Amino acid sequence: MNTGILNTDLIELICILVFFLGFYGLIATTNVIKSIVFLWVMEMAVIMFFLSIGYNIGIVAPIGTDLVPGQVADPLPQALMITTIVIGLAVTAVNITMLITLVRKHKSANWDILRKKSSES
Amino acid sequence: MLTYFIIVPILIAVLLFMLSHVKAGRAIAILFQAGFTGAAFYLFTLSQQGEILTTIGGYESVLGIVLRADSVSAVFVLITTIFFLIASIYSFHEKDSRLFWFLMFLWQGALVGIFLTRDLFNAFVLIEVVTIVVAILIMFNRDKRSMYDGMFYLMLNVLVIKFYLFGLGYLYRMAGTMDMEVARLALANVDRASQLLPYALMMTSIAFKCALLPLFSWLPKAHGSPAAPSAVSAILSGLHIKCTIYLFLRVQEMFATVATHEFFLVIGIITAVVGFTMAMSQSDIKLILAYSTVSQIGLIFTALSMGSYYSQIGGMYHIVNHALFKGGLFLGAGAIAKAYGTRNIHQIRGVLRRYPLMGIATLIAILGMIGAPFFNGSISKYFMVSDTTTQMNWILTFLSLGTIITFIKYSTMLFGKSDAEPKADVKIPVEQQISTFILGALCFVTGIFGLQSIRFLFNATVYIDALGYLEKAGIFFASLIAGFFIFKYFVNTSDFLKRLGRFELGFRSVCVCIGVFFAALLLTVGVL
Repeated sequence: MNTGILNTDLIELICILVFFLGFYGLIATTNVIKSIVFLWVMEMAVIMFFLSIGYNIGIVAPIGTDLVPGQVADPLPQALMITTIVIGLAVTAVNITMLITLVRKHKSANWDILRKKSSES
Repeated sequence: MLTYFIIVPILIAVLLFMLSHVKAGRAIAILFQAGFTGAAFYLFTLSQQGEILTTIGGYESVLGIVLRADSVSAVFVLITTIFFLIASIYSFHEKDSRLFWFLMFLWQGALVGIFLTRDLFNAFVLIEVVTIVVAILIMFNRDKRSMYDGMFYLMLNVLVIKFYLFGLGYLYRMAGTMDMEVARLALANVDRASQLLPYALMMTSIAFKCALLPLFSWLPKAHGSPAAPSAVSAILSGLHIKCTIYLFLRVQEMFATVATHEFFLVIGIITAVVGFTMAMSQSDIKLILAYSTVSQIGLIFTALSMGSYYSQIGGMYHIVNHALFKGGLFLGAGAIAKAYGTRNIHQIRGVLRRYPLMGIATLIAILGMIGAPFFNGSISKYFMVSDTTTQMNWILTFLSLGTIITFIKYSTMLFGKSDAEPKADVKIPVEQQISTFILGALCFVTGIFGLQSIRFLFNATVYIDALGYLEKAGIFFASLIAGFFIFKYFVNTSDFLKRLGRFELGFRSVCVCIGVFFAALLLTVGVL
């Protein structure tokens, strides 16, 4: 039995904070790699939020056969988040591939320098 | 049945990628595109009699994914297939064709999926697929500049989709479903205050993808990218942007209790003004068209947010029309730029004389764009203004004046003579001429048979008042003359515009804009 210190409101608040912290990071950093990391921070906040939707104190994971309806966590958000994580992985892979090509060409991973050098050509 | 519209293009994409025989691949691609167009037409006629539903995996709509073709989405699917058919004919001889066809078919499947699906999470997945595909197509002919553009596009779109996903989480918590229809019914019983945040989150994302005012910086880079094949630019500008307008309509409908129309009306007008100002100040023909897309999106948003039945019809019809003429213009621009070896509007002259068919197609598309009488633009613009206040009437006249000036500038390349004449042996391939001409001809047909097209597409019976139409024609000619003089004595010579044209935002500035837009939207719906 889970006694649970965290309630969902607190989790929601934390998620919003982390989400906008990641967003602030995107504004604050000039480094492309850090931008990609901050994108993941935002994504983690969203994933945590989704997982907290199905959660409540005293509720068990939806695994097994002898489950009482109403006392089982909603499995749908978790299934959706697996999809989201996979998509996020694929997008990050594409992003990093592009970044590698750009860095090889311009010898820099700075947004401003990349922009300047790209528009020169 | 609807599943096949999504899954078959994706399977064919894989098939074409594995097929090493280039000519056979092309033939299969064109053949299947023609087949899809036929199928979409059939679907369209079926959906006129009643909605078509497909539940994937046999789950009911609250749990599973539902595909639904109602009268609106069937229209979009029809346009998508027609557009992809024409684009495929146009890029018949595209080099590196295996990858190209693979991406094109993938793109088509995902786009059709977005139009058909009723599940918001499913839409999210498809949008992500489309984003990656488009990012690769933008830098298809790898050159120095396009790598940055592609990355800029991808990073920003990935960023805003997080907003969408976060909003979706809230929606699921409130409504317990991802299905648009069920969620709409469920949200009607939820108190207004708790809907504000998800609405603002989702709308920020969608507005970014529609390139509304502070968020449009990525669009010219993506749509005007020199490395993208012309067919890709045409689909991006004509069709791709419409899939988020479609989502906008759906989400706006879903959050009926919090949805703000005034905000999008104002933003739409400002977007249109900024869009055509930027378009006027460009000298690259593809960039002129790209910025003009921004202004047309603003116009469409204005029309859709005005709230009267006629302006709604006008806006919807303008979505179709814009696809036709902007597609035609982009296809034409690509071929012309290739033939002349330059994209500078000041160096290209005499297209009409040198490439008559291409010139005529472009001219028709321009006439449609600026809303000349008897062309399709005039019909949609007529309906936009026919049911509004005098004030709005003047604003829309002003907006179309801006479009007119932009395209007077664009049409200068059709006439005259210049030094940068192409070599005598440079020919525009026949299939490119024909496909551009088909789009041009469609602009004319949907203009002449405007009322019939509206009845056919949207199942709405509307009437045109002959006197009112004549009045609009008068206004058009007056603004054409005014536009000509403004172009000659201001736009053509202004240094300010030239400097303005080079203005662009970096990644971080765009992020700030997203934040500002989000805050503004949240404040608007929260306070009002």
